[in-house]
Amino acid sequence: MKAAPIFEVYEQQKGKRRYLYTKSIAPGYDVYGEKVFKEGSEEYREWDPSKSKLCAAILAGAANVFIRKNDWVLYLGSSTGTTVSHVSDMVGKKGLIFAVDSAPIVTRELVFLSEQRNNIAPILADAHHPESYEHRISQVDVLYQDVSQKDQVDIFLKNIQLFLKKGGYAILAVKARSIDVVKNPKEIYKKVYEQIEQQGLKIVDKRQLEPWQKDHLILFCKY
Amino acid sequence: MNYLFEHLLGMIVCDENGNSKEKYECHSLEDYYKKNEIEKKIRHTFKDLQEPSIEIKKRILETLKHEKNAHAFVEYNRDLTKEAIKNAVTDEFLIIETINAIDDLSRVENMLTKRLRNWFALLNPEYEHVEADNEKLVERIHHKKTEKRKGSMGADLHVSDQEPIIELASEIEKIRHTKIKQEHYLEKVMNRFCPNVTAVAGGVIGARLLVHTRSLQRLAMMPASTVQLLGAEQALFRHLRTGAKSPRHGLILAHPLLVSAPQAMHGKIARALADKISIAAKIDFFKGTFIGDALRKALEEKFS
Repeated sequence: MKAAPIFEVYEQQKGKRRYLYTKSIAPGYDVYGEKVFKEGSEEYREWDPSKSKLCAAILAGAANVFIRKNDWVLYLGSSTGTTVSHVSDMVGKKGLIFAVDSAPIVTRELVFLSEQRNNIAPILADAHHPESYEHRISQVDVLYQDVSQKDQVDIFLKNIQLFLKKGGYAILAVKARSIDVVKNPKEIYKKVYEQIEQQGLKIVDKRQLEPWQKDHLILFCKY
Repeated sequence: MNYLFEHLLGMIVCDENGNSKEKYECHSLEDYYKKNEIEKKIRHTFKDLQEPSIEIKKRILETLKHEKNAHAFVEYNRDLTKEAIKNAVTDEFLIIETINAIDDLSRVENMLTKRLRNWFALLNPEYEHVEADNEKLVERIHHKKTEKRKGSMGADLHVSDQEPIIELASEIEKIRHTKIKQEHYLEKVMNRFCPNVTAVAGGVIGARLLVHTRSLQRLAMMPASTVQLLGAEQALFRHLRTGAKSPRHGLILAHPLLVSAPQAMHGKIARALADKISIAAKIDFFKGTFIGDALRKALEEKFS
């Protein structure tokens, strides 16, 4: 096990495949059935790229994911908390994640996760309406969004405007098939770039997630 | 000019640059729930309070990002979310779980009945062969009312070998009774939740439509022509793609009016039925008065 070039992520090479890990802040638990193993006094959890788009982006060559120790993160579309748990490992015990999702059933799992890890604040709210949870969070260093909505870029920009600090980073998982089923993903991506850059954001890095996710793109932007 | 921002961590009064003038901190969620009282007090001291703009909100949110607040953020949000999840359980959730349970029970019942037939045929193949009705077969096996013909092909099984067969039959009967009970229950919840749809479509079909559209709101917003074909998406898109015959009905096929109608009338009835269901869903969603009976009567008079 050695530290990967990305902050707070560890890696191991087994044959041709590269495996990623995060150092668990809640030793003794696994979150979604991933492999957990001990090395010395630390516990590491394997990060599955087919279940987490952020992990896939790293394996696809992203040089930096801009999430660092002690960061505060706003995570939109947290679902049951698969990726959230790894981000929670990355920001550590002094970091904080506001995890927003609009579906009550999956948020239930998130509440359980938050009881296990003290740096996750679960919020049941619709990311379309930032004003419905603006009184429950604060400004953040990093914004991560993974929602399958048609107007996902609008949601992204609205939330950045209100919650992201100047100079902070925003990560957007673009799901081409949610925006338009029939259009060529490349055209959709192009429109997304335009829309984001119009708002004064700088796109730092973009990664296609083949072969782990089809027609997905992860964008790293600087505010 | 003064602005008031109501936050989980406290009520903040600030000027137009976002500098806080006064802060009423919440030390627990109870404090936050009392925010209306505090607001009254604040409005008494500050007469010119206004809604803050995005810029001011941003400034305030920036000041709240502090290590010492982290614990409160997690605790308060977790408790609020727990409460919200608790309150999110509506009749819709109950309906979806019930109809899924009913489907599962039917599946299990059919599977076990098939097994029972095979097993029982070892003992009395002649009766198993002539009895086409599953329900009757199960019932008679359970109550040992199956007589063996003379010269039967069935094996002479010892009583201890017949016992498990009878036990299986009794279990299947139990499953059927559970299913019937749950169907009654479904009818009850549907009547409470959407009486008009239930009156027109019946509890089970109404519930299936709800499951398919995932909420009454979506069902109410749909045009009748969509309601008519809910559940027949595959056939519809095949029709659009290849020009094959268009489907006439989806989930509403199981409606008693359609089941008893001659084939040639299916399209007409399905269209009229979908119309009435659509009207009923709209009434239910917008909480109108009950006219489900009148809607159904109109249909029945027209088509029978």
